[in-house]
Amino acid sequence: MKMKAAFIAYNQAHVEDVDDILSQLSIRGFTRWTDIQGRGSDDGEPHLGTHAWPSKNMATLCIVHENIAPILKKRIQALDLEAPEQGLRVFFWDVVDV
Amino acid sequence: MKIYESSVKKPVTTAIIFVAIVVLGLFSLSKLSIDMLPEIEMNQAIVLVTYPGASAEDVENNVSKVLESTLSTVSDLKKIQSTSKENTAVISVEFNWGTDIDAGVNDMRDKIEMVKSHLPDGCSNPIIMKLSTDMMPVAIYSATSRESSDALYKILEDGVANPLNRISGVGSVSISGAPQREISINVDPQKLEAYHLTIEQIGAAIAKENVNTPGGSIDIGSETYSLRIEGEMKESDLLNNIVVSNYGGRAVFLKDIAIVRDSVQEKAQESYVNGEKGATIVVQKQSGANSVDVVKQIREQLPIIQKSLPQDIEFVEVMNATDNIENSITSLVQTVLLAFLFVTIVVIFFLGQWRASVIIMLTIPISLISAFIYLQLTGNTLNIISLSALSIAIGMVVDDAIVVLENITTHIERGARPREAAIYGTNEVGVAVIATTLTLLAVFLPFTMMGGMAGIIFAQLGWIVSIVIAVSTLSALTLTPMLSSLLLKKEKNTGSTFDKLYAPIKRGLDKLDVQYSKILTWVVRHKTFTIATGFIIFAASITLMFRIGTEFIPASDNGQISGNFQLPVGANVERSKEIAIRFEKSINEKYPEIKTLSYTIGIPSEDDNNAWAQMQSSGTNYVSFRIKLHKLKERKRDMFEISEGLRTELESYPELYKFKVNAGGGDGTTSGSVVDIEILGYDFETTENIAADIKVKMENIKGFRNVAISREDYIPQYQIEFDREKLALNDLNVATASAFIRNRMNGMIASLFREDGEEYKIKVRYDKASRESIEDIENIAIFNPSGKSVRLNEVAKVVERFAPPSIERQDRERIIKVSATLYGETLDKVTKNIQAEIDKMDIPSNIGIQIGGTIEEQQESFADMGLLSLLIIMMVYFVMAAQFESLFYPFIIMIAIPFAITGVLVSLFVTGGTINMMSAIGSIMLIGIVVKNGIVLVDYINLNRERGMNINSAVIDGGKSRLRPVLMTTATTVLGMIPMAYGLGEGSEIWQPMGVVIVGGLTISTVVTLVIIPALYGAFASREVKSNRKKHRLKLNSRQIKA
Repeated sequence: MKMKAAFIAYNQAHVEDVDDILSQLSIRGFTRWTDIQGRGSDDGEPHLGTHAWPSKNMATLCIVHENIAPILKKRIQALDLEAPEQGLRVFFWDVVDV
Repeated sequence: MKIYESSVKKPVTTAIIFVAIVVLGLFSLSKLSIDMLPEIEMNQAIVLVTYPGASAEDVENNVSKVLESTLSTVSDLKKIQSTSKENTAVISVEFNWGTDIDAGVNDMRDKIEMVKSHLPDGCSNPIIMKLSTDMMPVAIYSATSRESSDALYKILEDGVANPLNRISGVGSVSISGAPQREISINVDPQKLEAYHLTIEQIGAAIAKENVNTPGGSIDIGSETYSLRIEGEMKESDLLNNIVVSNYGGRAVFLKDIAIVRDSVQEKAQESYVNGEKGATIVVQKQSGANSVDVVKQIREQLPIIQKSLPQDIEFVEVMNATDNIENSITSLVQTVLLAFLFVTIVVIFFLGQWRASVIIMLTIPISLISAFIYLQLTGNTLNIISLSALSIAIGMVVDDAIVVLENITTHIERGARPREAAIYGTNEVGVAVIATTLTLLAVFLPFTMMGGMAGIIFAQLGWIVSIVIAVSTLSALTLTPMLSSLLLKKEKNTGSTFDKLYAPIKRGLDKLDVQYSKILTWVVRHKTFTIATGFIIFAASITLMFRIGTEFIPASDNGQISGNFQLPVGANVERSKEIAIRFEKSINEKYPEIKTLSYTIGIPSEDDNNAWAQMQSSGTNYVSFRIKLHKLKERKRDMFEISEGLRTELESYPELYKFKVNAGGGDGTTSGSVVDIEILGYDFETTENIAADIKVKMENIKGFRNVAISREDYIPQYQIEFDREKLALNDLNVATASAFIRNRMNGMIASLFREDGEEYKIKVRYDKASRESIEDIENIAIFNPSGKSVRLNEVAKVVERFAPPSIERQDRERIIKVSATLYGETLDKVTKNIQAEIDKMDIPSNIGIQIGGTIEEQQESFADMGLLSLLIIMMVYFVMAAQFESLFYPFIIMIAIPFAITGVLVSLFVTGGTINMMSAIGSIMLIGIVVKNGIVLVDYINLNRERGMNINSAVIDGGKSRLRPVLMTTATTVLGMIPMAYGLGEGSEIWQPMGVVIVGGLTISTVVTLVIIPALYGAFASREVKSNRKKHRLKLNSRQIKA
């Protein structure tokens, strides 16, 4: 069974939506960083926690089954489309060993 | 976990906390009593000494001077004044504001104790009283009766005064205008001489007969009995049978030489109410008691009391101190409610969402109600200051909630869930919200440190606004996010009726945004022109300053008028009464606004232990009156107009010597302005001539009313000049001889007659027929210690002289004041005019002239306020400097302050207002209120630049995006103030100027700053950028050279 690591970076205001997606997909395990900074490569609002850009990012790393990965990707992208300025991203890696 | 995060995550706890605040607040409200002003600890104490029989000059030399010189060493003393009158000396000591008056009074007591032995014999013990607002009567009633008039005093004392005294909070109830019972023994001098008796002997005989003596105890068998001699007269009739001496082996009874009359005092004051004769009942409250509560209880008790009295006795309320309070409070409550309504409309207008509006409106009651907790905890009352504080705060408390809610809405629109949006949205603006609150606290907290009379009043305002704003911030950071997370929806449901109704408003607001950004685009290209225009507007407005007058506290219409008029000295009560009746009839016809008119004629009896009556002026030629008008709504003319009418009326009586009408019912100290020209100097004649000159000049200056010289007219008196040599030859001295005269004319109190637990004086003196001419005085026989008699005219001369009835002194010098009240002119103008007139006069070098009265207090308070505004400006600057982490941006923002001054001046000019305490306080508040707009604007422009925009687009975009929040917070504050500025109901004249200047100042400064701050920001920021570039270039160049 192949596993994939999914790294989701998002505006902290989306934490509940992301959590919902994870629980709907029965993804129990995760690691989360709160109060972190981030900026998209092309456009969108930076999340820097400064005066100019007061919002901040969160990131969740979870290891999911490779069958689940595409569904997760689809869900996250759908959420991103609802508010594209907020910059919600998910990245996948192959997990070599568990 | 941050406070807003926990509040969103624990909605129940959050809700409960605020519900608890509201419940506690409402509980406190139910306990609060109402009053006009916060309790003012007056800074005055008076010392009252009676010296019976002494003339004003005697009192001055022997009592006032002695006390003054010792009291002048009391610490923290500001002013010492004394009035020496016949029989009494009143020394009033004024302390610096903020002095602990109790410590001061103790100090006075110690000092007086030291010199007490130097006071002449016959002086009463000095009574020291703290002067406070409690001294003013809370209610004056008049009791009229047809049949029971002779017994009125006793009936009122037992039946009314005593029950009223039992009401908690009632301090003293005094009755005047009803003669008291007295047993007078009128001796026939001829018979007296025939029997070789003196008044003193008779007095002594009565005193010796009319005693009860305990005789010890006696053991009889196994029992112990006490012995008692009951010598006191059981009935006044029995006095007739006292044996006063033996003459030729025969007993001389009192009835042989005198007539014993058990009746009422010879002289007493007469009071009339609406034409009927009656007695006046003056009720004073205990210090610290609440007048409204006291009067309420009295009103409840009176009908019950009345049932137990003879049927013909009727009560009329002549004056009460509370109707006005109640009306003022009611109209202020209306003002606050109306403000609430206006603010609601503004919030709905700008937000266009009812859920959001509800969340914001909830902040108002919560924060306002918290003020009641503060009032209750500190033992304060609900008064016009605390209520106007609420009215001021109402528009400001929503500001924080608006900012928070706006940011939360933005997050929701961007797709966040309400819960998360609430937490993070609040997090982002939290610091800015706290910063704007701090600028407001920087304004209102210094209010609590103000000195002087103004300090006492405005400390409460400062505390309330500070507390209310702090609570509103707390609520904005906890309750608002919590409610937003529950009430706001992610999807906006369009198409509801509300949205349809709101659509045109939304279009209008959008259009306004576009218009404003167009203006800004023009402005950033014409910065110099814009800034120059701004300064021209400011400079032009400053010229208005010279056309606006100043005064201290605006006068308000409380529906009470008091006054007095005098016939030439020597006129008797009957003549005075005749004029009073004529006056009453005439004004009752002319002024249907008059509800009750009461007047008092004559001198209060010297036996009255009635401090209130003693302190009032009186005389047989003196009529003082008090008028109560109908409610403001029920009459067409105001108090000032009617007072002016009464003055013209009184002027038309040629019999009158002088008169005074006081609108407001006080002595002019509580309402309106008084100017005192103080003339200091010893010589009566010189100072009086100067005073008369000044009086004439003041009467010719427009705006002065009731010009009066404080020194009362000289009263004719007979002075007895003893020839000391002849006295000595007869083995007599002045003291003994004077005592003889006093006992015969004034009478001596021989003893007290007791009946039913009451004591009545037994007074022995010559019968009236022998007290009516100079010959009677000259014929008085004076006995020396060896029993030899000599006639007064053998050792003394009786001369007619005029003497001042009272001598006033200030700071240990004799003083005459020429005082006047103002009507239709402002204080500074008339003061300037009179000063010019005085400068033209030729005044001897040993006479000092100064202008006092309200102007003195006004100058002190205005100086205080100048200092206060300086402090506030600095504090506001500090807060902003810290917020922007810059010493420079705060200056741009503070450009709003001069334009606030423009607004203040324009609004005062347009409404015809004056610069007074209230408008000054309003202007000071403006400092904190107007910079808020600038903070919001500059903060966002800075943010835009940090996000990488160039200066011009940062300014234009920032302005456009902040226009609505700025307009909204301004509109809530301005509209919240409008009911106050409009002036609803009774007493509104007092707080109206405060509302007017805030509305005017904030409106104009907002409009101007919306244009001029972007221009200034543009100008300065581009200079900064240029100088940075220059520095950078220099650095680069130097590197290149090195390389």
